[in-house]
Amino acid sequence: MHSTSARVFGGLRALLLGAAAMGAGVAAATEAVAQEVQRGGRLTVAADTEPRNINPAMVASNGVFFVSSKVVEPLAEMDYEAGLRGVLAVGWEGSEDGRTITFRLREGVAWSDGTPFTSADVAFSAMEVWKPLQNLGRAIFADLEAVETPDDHTAVFRFTRPTPLQLIENALPAVSAVLPRHLYQGTDIAQNPLNNAPVGTGPFLFAEHRPGEYFRLTRNPGYWGEGQPYLDEIVYRVLPDAASKAAALETGDIQLTAFSAVPLTDLARLDAIDGISVIPGGYEGITYHITLEINHRRAELANPLVRRALAHAIDRNFIVDVVFMGYAAASTGPVPATAADFYTADVPAHAFDPAEAERLLDEAGYPRGADGTRFSLRLRPAPWFQMTRATGDYVRQALQQVGIAVELVTADSGAHSVAVYTDHDFDLAIGSPVWRNDPAISTTILFQGGLPAGVPFSNQYGYDDPEMNALIAAAAAELDRDRRVALYHDFQRKAATDLPIIHLVDFTFITVARDEVKGVASNPRWATSSWADTWVAR
Amino acid sequence: MTPLARGTAAVGAALLAAGIALALAAPWLAPGDPMNMVGRPMLPPLADGRFPLGTDQLGRDVLAGLVHGARVSLAVGAAAAAAAIGVGILVGTVAGFLGGLVDDALMRLTEAAQTIPTFLLALALVSVLGATAGNVVVAIALSSWPPTARLVRAEVLRVRTLDYVDAARLAGRAPLAIAFLEVLPGALAPVVALVGITVGEAILVESALAFLGLGDPNLQSWGTMVANGRANLRVMPSLVVLPGVAIAAAVLAVSLTGDALAARLGGRR
Repeated sequence: MHSTSARVFGGLRALLLGAAAMGAGVAAATEAVAQEVQRGGRLTVAADTEPRNINPAMVASNGVFFVSSKVVEPLAEMDYEAGLRGVLAVGWEGSEDGRTITFRLREGVAWSDGTPFTSADVAFSAMEVWKPLQNLGRAIFADLEAVETPDDHTAVFRFTRPTPLQLIENALPAVSAVLPRHLYQGTDIAQNPLNNAPVGTGPFLFAEHRPGEYFRLTRNPGYWGEGQPYLDEIVYRVLPDAASKAAALETGDIQLTAFSAVPLTDLARLDAIDGISVIPGGYEGITYHITLEINHRRAELANPLVRRALAHAIDRNFIVDVVFMGYAAASTGPVPATAADFYTADVPAHAFDPAEAERLLDEAGYPRGADGTRFSLRLRPAPWFQMTRATGDYVRQALQQVGIAVELVTADSGAHSVAVYTDHDFDLAIGSPVWRNDPAISTTILFQGGLPAGVPFSNQYGYDDPEMNALIAAAAAELDRDRRVALYHDFQRKAATDLPIIHLVDFTFITVARDEVKGVASNPRWATSSWADTWVAR
Repeated sequence: MTPLARGTAAVGAALLAAGIALALAAPWLAPGDPMNMVGRPMLPPLADGRFPLGTDQLGRDVLAGLVHGARVSLAVGAAAAAAAIGVGILVGTVAGFLGGLVDDALMRLTEAAQTIPTFLLALALVSVLGATAGNVVVAIALSSWPPTARLVRAEVLRVRTLDYVDAARLAGRAPLAIAFLEVLPGALAPVVALVGITVGEAILVESALAFLGLGDPNLQSWGTMVANGRANLRVMPSLVVLPGVAIAAAVLAVSLTGDALAARLGGRR
């Protein structure tokens, strides 16, 4: 499989150029179409996690979507060509004043028990689930006042304040899973047993979950998609660790692993095996960052010269090449280059330059002492990815080379979150925030001042800049697309100038699949999409 | 001593001496911080003269990790074992010598401590206290003193009835002086046999904690190396095998040496 290997290894950086991402996706899609689709059969994949609640309308997370996005559908999904493709909605428009968005809904769609899908289901999901209960929806739909249903196939969202249509569009794939009103209304939604056995309009029906063993989905014979889905069954097998997932892939016990489930060091070996391919596409809509989080309550770190020195002291490309083995891209700021509609490269750059870092530290008034050390810091690497821990090891080494002594402090996930986001008991930390396709969803919260302590993955850094706060507020209420994008360009420049936190690399995930699995990576959120067009060759 | 016992004793002592020598010479054998990423990642052993045992997935020198890891394993193992034996001797002597209510209280405490599996207790302690080398020593010491305490108490109970102890009492010496200066030396010989086991176990517990990510993140330890190498088992087994062999050799060395020492001091076997 050396031909794919070459494409794959240079792949991610090319993919991150945005335009190229479209090209690769189209290529993958046409490749699938070129072959005659074969129907039937079972696809067995490695389970990612076993979340307790797999209701995607309540818990908008990739671990939940991996299973339940095949059962419960959103209003719209990301698409390589169109950007956004209607699923349960076929079209939408916003009003001039930004206070209403009208969705036209797909006709002829039924829930798996035969009840027709109507605008009442959308209104119920939005007002009773997304807005009050969903992790992301709470913020995005905070100003949603009511959803009107003039007829069965029209839903009109009314907001109390002007809300950019662009923000809602970008949020739709992740936040708009529609639940059946007739099965949820009048129940305690948070405790409804369907949260563990979801019912939706999607191409597959939830069959069973055996904890510690597998999830099983079966074909929905009444699915609205013409002739879809192609598969009869999807089984998510729970496997104990990364090495056993790689072994199961080799023996054919599973046919696919997503979310970089096998060790990066194993990819070259697996790709060389006949019948197995490494596929880096299909995650452009699910980008993560590795960040250096900085506690401005430390006098040294409140000094912008010191923060600029930190940015110059760390070699982002080293992290890309060694920690991520090339499967990542050096970051220029809080928006990844894959997000072509918001990204700007026109920001102050901080190239790797230890000499410049040392000069800045001297200028800031922290010369090297007799032992060669300027000052010492405590660094907490987030424990959730092997890569965050390894980046911590590298940052310690890089800062020690410019005379900053670093002591690593490790803790389990719970203790780490409390230490950083509640107690502020850190000097530096390595974090991994998620880019969710619009800066207003989960990115600006990392820079906004005045947030209460205890909000995870938010600005708990002690940075509170009036100009930055004003920019964030202006962009959140700007209805004009071009002006909104321009404001976010200013936001990126401000972030790269002040460096309240330092974005180090952008990374997505990798799929490893056996070659009989077709229709893989067919959209930018493939692993968390419906898989209606996925099939297995025999 | 049988020739076989003499042979194993020599092997143990040689291994231990080699380990200590490597640990002491680490700053000269592999200068600099062994945590530093210094070479191309995933170099196999014997491929590059600068890194005779290769590099790990982050480009850290495996040889540097092994020799500096010897320092961590041996120092933590010895310190933890010394602390555990110290606590055990104190508790055992006081309980055995004073008897009565004090004995009952201390022995119930010892039994209670013994019902908690050593490793689980150490795991819990390090999770709560934080992963630093000092805390690992404290955790191992606090979880592995009971066997020493029980052994010392039994010996003290035997020795304190001997005539020379009565003589000391008649001579008017203070009870604490009798306990620690007269009784304890006579009761120590069997403790030597425990030293090898306790140090060996401390090394194993330290490695296991590090393997689970609870070692000191600022130090390169053999357990950490095994944990990091595990994901690469299929690609480069040496990353797991080399530190694994080092752990096994260190535990074997202290066990064999401890046995030999006990046999010599005890005059038995």
